[in-house]
Amino acid sequence: MTGYAIEVEHLKRTYKTTVGVLRRKVKNVEAVRDVSFAIQTGELFGLVGPNGAGKTTTVKMLTTLLIPTAGTARVLGYDVVQEASSIQARIGFIFGGDRGLYWRLSGIDNLRYFASLYHVDPDVSRKRIDYLLELVGLTGRGEERVEGYSRGMRQRLHIARSLLHNPEVLFLDEPTIGLDPVGARELRLVIRNLQAEEKTILLTTHYMFEADELCQRVGVINHGEITALDTPQGLKKTVRDLSVIEINVFGIDNEHLDALRDRADVDTVSLREHGQKQTLLIHSPHGSEALPGVMETLSGLHLGGVTVREPTLEDAYVRLVGGEA
Amino acid sequence: MNLDRLRANIRVVGYAFVMTLKQNVIDGFIIFTILIQPLIIALLALWMMDDQAASHAIFIVVGSGLTGLWSSLLFISGNSINVERWIGTLEFMVAMPTSITTIIFGKNLAHVSQSLISMLLSYFLASIIFDLPLTIARPGLFLLSLLLTIVAFVSFGLIIAPIFVMNPGVQGWQNAMEFPVYILSGFLFPIALLPGWTTPVSYVLAPYWAAKALHGASSGESSPDSILIDLGILIMFSTVYILISRRLFKAMLHKTRVDATLGLQ
Amino acid sequence: MNRPLVQNVRLFIDGALLSYIALFRWLRPAAYLASKVIMPLNQILFFTLLGMYATGRDNASFYVIGNALQLTAVSGIYGVTMSVGGDRWDGTLPYLFGTPANRAALFLGRAFFHILDGMLGVVLGFFWGVVLLGLDLSHTSLPTLGLIVLVTTLSSSGLGLLMGCLSLITRNIMFINNTVYFLLLIFSGANIPLDSLPLWMQSFAQGLPLTRGIAAARAVIAGQTVHDVVPLLGGELLIAVVYTSLGYALFRWFEHQAKMRGTLEAI
Repeated sequence: MTGYAIEVEHLKRTYKTTVGVLRRKVKNVEAVRDVSFAIQTGELFGLVGPNGAGKTTTVKMLTTLLIPTAGTARVLGYDVVQEASSIQARIGFIFGGDRGLYWRLSGIDNLRYFASLYHVDPDVSRKRIDYLLELVGLTGRGEERVEGYSRGMRQRLHIARSLLHNPEVLFLDEPTIGLDPVGARELRLVIRNLQAEEKTILLTTHYMFEADELCQRVGVINHGEITALDTPQGLKKTVRDLSVIEINVFGIDNEHLDALRDRADVDTVSLREHGQKQTLLIHSPHGSEALPGVMETLSGLHLGGVTVREPTLEDAYVRLVGGEA
Repeated sequence: MNLDRLRANIRVVGYAFVMTLKQNVIDGFIIFTILIQPLIIALLALWMMDDQAASHAIFIVVGSGLTGLWSSLLFISGNSINVERWIGTLEFMVAMPTSITTIIFGKNLAHVSQSLISMLLSYFLASIIFDLPLTIARPGLFLLSLLLTIVAFVSFGLIIAPIFVMNPGVQGWQNAMEFPVYILSGFLFPIALLPGWTTPVSYVLAPYWAAKALHGASSGESSPDSILIDLGILIMFSTVYILISRRLFKAMLHKTRVDATLGLQ
Repeated sequence: MNRPLVQNVRLFIDGALLSYIALFRWLRPAAYLASKVIMPLNQILFFTLLGMYATGRDNASFYVIGNALQLTAVSGIYGVTMSVGGDRWDGTLPYLFGTPANRAALFLGRAFFHILDGMLGVVLGFFWGVVLLGLDLSHTSLPTLGLIVLVTTLSSSGLGLLMGCLSLITRNIMFINNTVYFLLLIFSGANIPLDSLPLWMQSFAQGLPLTRGIAAARAVIAGQTVHDVVPLLGGELLIAVVYTSLGYALFRWFEHQAKMRGTLEAI
């Protein structure tokens, strides 16, 4: 067996939908066109993309809920179509949102029920439920009915449920969607702790800062295809040219401007003026690394504030998906 | 199936049973279907019978209980898989080491068991409020018939549930299937009232044989032998249902994965 | 002052048609067929056969007529009630109550197409009665019967409008719908002759829709003329007016309460 927990090769999934009520026309929608990637054991991998890019469809194929139209995928070495049941016992998954729990039952009842479905031994499950409730921060709230839970609590219960049988691989599909900032931050902490337990995690999200913060590698998916796959740093490098050094100056002369422009590590220099204050906008392919040199060139001048705006993963993403939200 | 797996599956059935009951206690629709409707039907029948009510009391009690059983099977058990889809838990059910058939079996067991309450309530209505004689002529055979009726209804539920998932259009016919079975199975009046050509249709319905056995045992009008024959036929139906259900579930699991209908779109 | 009138009529029709379509949008033609053609047949068959078993084959007509007319309650209760309450479930109540639309036109419009629908159901019921159960309409003045059907449908819809307002307040409306529908089977005289019921129940029955309509229909089919049933028709019409007015009053009160208490969006 390879060291890959998840292997995807040329995965494809097409949907047929019908348009119209009386005279129905059939339309073919390619949700996933051609997706290939591999995830190492113990890796926290992010799949990012706009709505409708194919993230959830890909996850559903990997969790044996959807049969691919073409291509192959293996989870822990098992084929997702032929050996589905071997996979099911070893993975956990959550889909963001309010549904997927029995509202009329308590949190603990939900967990007990699912634990039995996962064939977890009753003695084991009792202890594990206590542990998991603590892990996701729901200790003491387990006896309440899920219909009284906040959205964040439900999301956290989802995560607890996905861990009941101690799976090796976790699929988290947009886990923080719809959560308030505090709730989302708490959830991300839980996810980070999970990764510390050496679980392989595939996370989908369309919050770039989340992928940047959590993931070791990120795959960008758009229109059903992977358009980029790299570490967050690697992706950010592709938009290096977007780094801007902004320096406020008070009266800069042409000599200094020319000296700046002549620097090898400087692309363009532009000047914004407002009254007495001038702001230099320096574009450099080396980003913030060009700063010391620039400062030297400008030595002797009276300088105001200095800002270096680094490109974010969001900038990289926006460029990769062509500005679609 | 080794012992561990068997024990695990029995536990699943137990949990599905209990959790279903817990959730149903608060459901207005379910309470109506298994309590109110059969009760009103019993009331109606008792009043319509007027002076004959005394001699037909047990017949009406059993018959109205059966209407509750059938309506519960049709509307509640039939939807047992679809309900999971609407709540959003079907995807999890399907990706479990536990076979979804086991889960649905546990749910159906709960539904059928709770619908037996309708028979109990009609019994109390007739005996306490109407003060009618309610002796069961052959209690042993009656109990056996009741048990086998439960088995038959649960296994029938295992057939309609996947069909309702694979073919959601069929659900629109649920309403149309309620009363005809009351009529053709002879729940509250003998099928002799119906034209002769409908009799073969009645013979194909498991509820008909259940009603025949239960009415025969409670009223004492059937001989033990004929009741046993009715029960034998009922067992045969149940076996056929269980065998078909395995294929249906497999087909359903495949179809929903191909059509992507496990979750709501 | 023609424009407000025209506006109100338009509002009436549009609201009526749209709420009707909205309610049935989930039904495919086949399912609509099942509910319009097969369900009435089922109900009439079941209760008539039960009645024949209980009181003898000769009494079939008694049950057929009663149950055919009782079918108005299907569209009256399920259709109209859900129409009024439908906005609550769709979450459109705040939008509705925020408009200057004439409330009467709005309210009554909800019932309009269901009245047509309901009458169609009864006609189909009578059809099945004649074809399958030997109902004899040869002595009947059909226009009079038609009038009885119309008036009875109006009164069932009145009940539906009233119950629709209940649906704005409580979550368990389907439970109430089903229970009332089935209770009508007992108390309207559809299946049980009124004089077999205890006295207090008879008085109760007189306050319900359907009771007089069914009695009138039985009389007319037996050969009586329209003049003989005028008192019954008048009574049924009065019930229609009373229930509708009560419903409308409740509807306005609900809007006022909800706006005062801020519970318009609450479900």
